[in-house]
Amino acid sequence: MNRRNFLGLAGLSLGTLAAAAAFSGWTLSRQSRQTLLLSARNDADGRHLAVGYRLDGTQVFSTQVSERCHDVVAHPSLPLALFVGRRPSTQSYLIDCRDGRLVQTLHSPIDRHFYGHAVFHHSGDWLYSTENDTRDPGRGVLGVYRLQDGQLQRHSELSTHGIGPHQLLWLPDGETLVVANGGIRTEADSREALNLDAMESSLVLMDRDGRLLSKEQLAAQQMNSIRHLAVAADGTVVSGQQYQGGPSDSAALLAIKRPGQPLQAFPLADGQRQAMQQYCASLAIHDELRLLALTAPRGNRLFIWDLDSAAVRLDVPLADCAGVGAVPEGFVVSSGTGRCRLYDCRSPQVIATALQLPAGLWDNHLRLS
Amino acid sequence: MLRTPLTAALLALALSACSPSDPLQKTSSALASGVLLPAYNHWLSADQQLAASSQAFCNANADLAATRLAWLNAQSAWSALQPLLVGPLSEGNRAWQVQFWPDKKNLVARQVEALLQSKTALTPADLDKASVVVQGLSASEYLLFDTNIDLTQAAQKNRYCPLLIAIGTHQQALASDILGQWQSADGMLAQLQSFPNTRYADSQEAITDLLRTQVTGLEGMKKKLGTPLGRQSKGQPQPFQAEAWRSNASLSNLSASLNAAEQLWLGSQADGLRSLLSSQQGELANRIDNAYQNSRLQLAAQQKSLSQLLADDAGRQQLNALYDSLNTLHRLHESELAKALGIQLGFNANDGD
Repeated sequence: MNRRNFLGLAGLSLGTLAAAAAFSGWTLSRQSRQTLLLSARNDADGRHLAVGYRLDGTQVFSTQVSERCHDVVAHPSLPLALFVGRRPSTQSYLIDCRDGRLVQTLHSPIDRHFYGHAVFHHSGDWLYSTENDTRDPGRGVLGVYRLQDGQLQRHSELSTHGIGPHQLLWLPDGETLVVANGGIRTEADSREALNLDAMESSLVLMDRDGRLLSKEQLAAQQMNSIRHLAVAADGTVVSGQQYQGGPSDSAALLAIKRPGQPLQAFPLADGQRQAMQQYCASLAIHDELRLLALTAPRGNRLFIWDLDSAAVRLDVPLADCAGVGAVPEGFVVSSGTGRCRLYDCRSPQVIATALQLPAGLWDNHLRLS
Repeated sequence: MLRTPLTAALLALALSACSPSDPLQKTSSALASGVLLPAYNHWLSADQQLAASSQAFCNANADLAATRLAWLNAQSAWSALQPLLVGPLSEGNRAWQVQFWPDKKNLVARQVEALLQSKTALTPADLDKASVVVQGLSASEYLLFDTNIDLTQAAQKNRYCPLLIAIGTHQQALASDILGQWQSADGMLAQLQSFPNTRYADSQEAITDLLRTQVTGLEGMKKKLGTPLGRQSKGQPQPFQAEAWRSNASLSNLSASLNAAEQLWLGSQADGLRSLLSSQQGELANRIDNAYQNSRLQLAAQQKSLSQLLADDAGRQQLNALYDSLNTLHRLHESELAKALGIQLGFNANDGD
C-alpha cells in the first residue's frame, strides 16, 4: 500500500476544494471531456436506466429500460450502443447515443437468455453475445446477430465450447474471440448455481466462425469461475475470477495469458488477494501506460498494477466500486454507492479526483467511447 | 469539552471553517470520535488484558477463571466492533485474524493441534507466519474452553501455553496497529471528520459507509443466530456451527453487537444517524427505536445459553422470535432508513455477475 505516496483527494484546502468542485472538468484533457461514458444505472426507486454522460458531468441521455443491464457495447462507427441484459434477462436495448432514443429492444430467441456481455465486430455488421441454452442449462452459446438497416437480427449461433459463458472480447486481430466460460450452470429465470461441486470454468480462444483454437483451465481450482476479461494491444489477456469455495481458500483471483503463453496466476500479495474477498468485478487495461485496473466490490477495493512487472501502483478503498475504463490520463471508476473518480496515473503518484457525475447507483461495467 | 478560552476559540474557528454547517459531516465526525474510536480503544485494552492474563496464567500468577474472563471481555469488545467495521480492520484478512467464523469443518481444533504437532516450542514469530485460523480468539477459545483440554493439568498447560501467549501477543499487536491507523495523520478518524480525503470524496460517502457497515453488522447478527438455528439447513439445529459455542458466549456476543449498532444509531450525545432524520421522519425514528428496544429486551430476557435454547422446542421458539426481531431491525436500516437518508447501499458487491 503506497498510501503515503498517494496524495489523492487529501491535503486540499477548503478553497481549492471549492475550486476542484467547480472546475473538476479542467483536470480532464480535451479528449477525455468529449469522451462518452456509457453504463447501466438505477434510479433511487430501483428503476433501470441506460445512461450516457460526458466526463465533465453533462448528461447526454438517460433512458429507462424495463430490465437491469450489465455491460454496454458501443458500435465501432455508428452512434449506437447495445445495453446488454443481465443474466437471466431475455432483453437487450439498442440505444441511439446522441439522444438516448431506444432504437430496438432485442429479444433473445426462445430457450436462450443473455449473460450480460456482447461485442460488435469491427466491421460493425455483426454482434456476438454470450447466451445460455436453457434446454441444456449452462451450455454456452454465442448468439450471432447481423445489424441491417439499424436493427439487429438473429443470424445464427455458435458454441462457446464451455459452460456458463460470461464476458467475451476480441483479440487485437479483431477476428479471434476470447471467451470466459464461468463454468456455472443456471436455469432460465434463475440465478441459482446448480453445479458448484462440478464446475467447469475455462478460457477459450475461438475464431468467429466458431472454431475452437484453445481451451485452458486454471490448475487445481475447480470452484474458480473465470468471469471478466481485459485484452491489451499486444494480445495479452487478463481474466478476473469469482471463487465459489471457502472465504479463506487461496484462489488465483487474477490470471494472465501473455502472447503465446499459457494462462497462469497473476502474482498477488496474500493481503491483496484476501482483500478481494474471492470476487473480481471489472477489469481494464491502459495500453499506453501498460497498466491493469481491477474493481473488487466485495472488498470495496480498487487496484492498479503495472501490467508487465506486476508491481502495485495503487491499492485503495473504494466502496462498492463497479465499472472501470481507460482514458488518456489513467482510469475512470464508478461506484454503486459513491462518487465516480478519475485516477490520473501519468506520474508516479496516482492522483484521484471525484468527477461531477451523479453519485452511486452505477452498475457493474462502464464503457468509454 | 471546552476547557479553556483558547480551545473554545479554536473550536469556533473549526466550526466556521465547515460552514455552511454540513449535518452529514457533523454526524460522521461525532460518531467517529464519540462511538467508533472509543469502541476500538476498548478492544485494544481488552486485548492488552487478555495478553497480560494469558502470560500471568502460564506463569502461574493467575487462575484459569481470570484468563477465561479476560477472553470473554476481548470477545465481547470484538463483537461490539461488528457494526463498526469501517476502515483498516475491515480490509485485507485482518478480521479473519481476530476470529475464524464460520468454521464448518472444525478447522480451529484441527489446525491448532497440527500446529502444535509441528512446533513444540512455538514462538509469537511462528504464529505470525501461521494460518489466520490459529491466530485469533477462536483458537484461544479452543484452548481455554474446549472440554478436551484441561489447562489446570501441568502437561497440557505446557503444551498449550506457548500458543495461548502467542495469540495474546498477536491480538494485542494487531489491535495496536489498527488503533495507529485510526489515529495517524490522514488516518481513519481524520477521514471520517474532514473531506475530501483519500477514502471519501465527501461527507455523504462517509455516512454511506457507516450505514453500510451497520447494515452489514445487523445482517451478520442474523447469520450468527440463523446458522445454529438451522435456517440455512432445512431447520435442523447446528449448535456447533454457532459463533463462540465453546465458551457459551454466542448470545452475549449478540448483545454487544446490538448495543454498538444502537450507539451508531443514537450517537454518544444524541448525534448519531438518528439525528439526521427530520422531524417529519419522526415516525420512522420511533419505529427504529422500538425495534432496538424489542431486540434488546428479548436478548436480556434469555437466562439460558444458546446451546441450551437450541435443545428444545420452547427454546428454539424464543430464538426464532429473536431472529425475527433482528430481521425487522435489519430491514428497517437496509431499506427505510437508507431511503430516508437518501443513501445508496450499493448493489455491485452482492451482484454475483
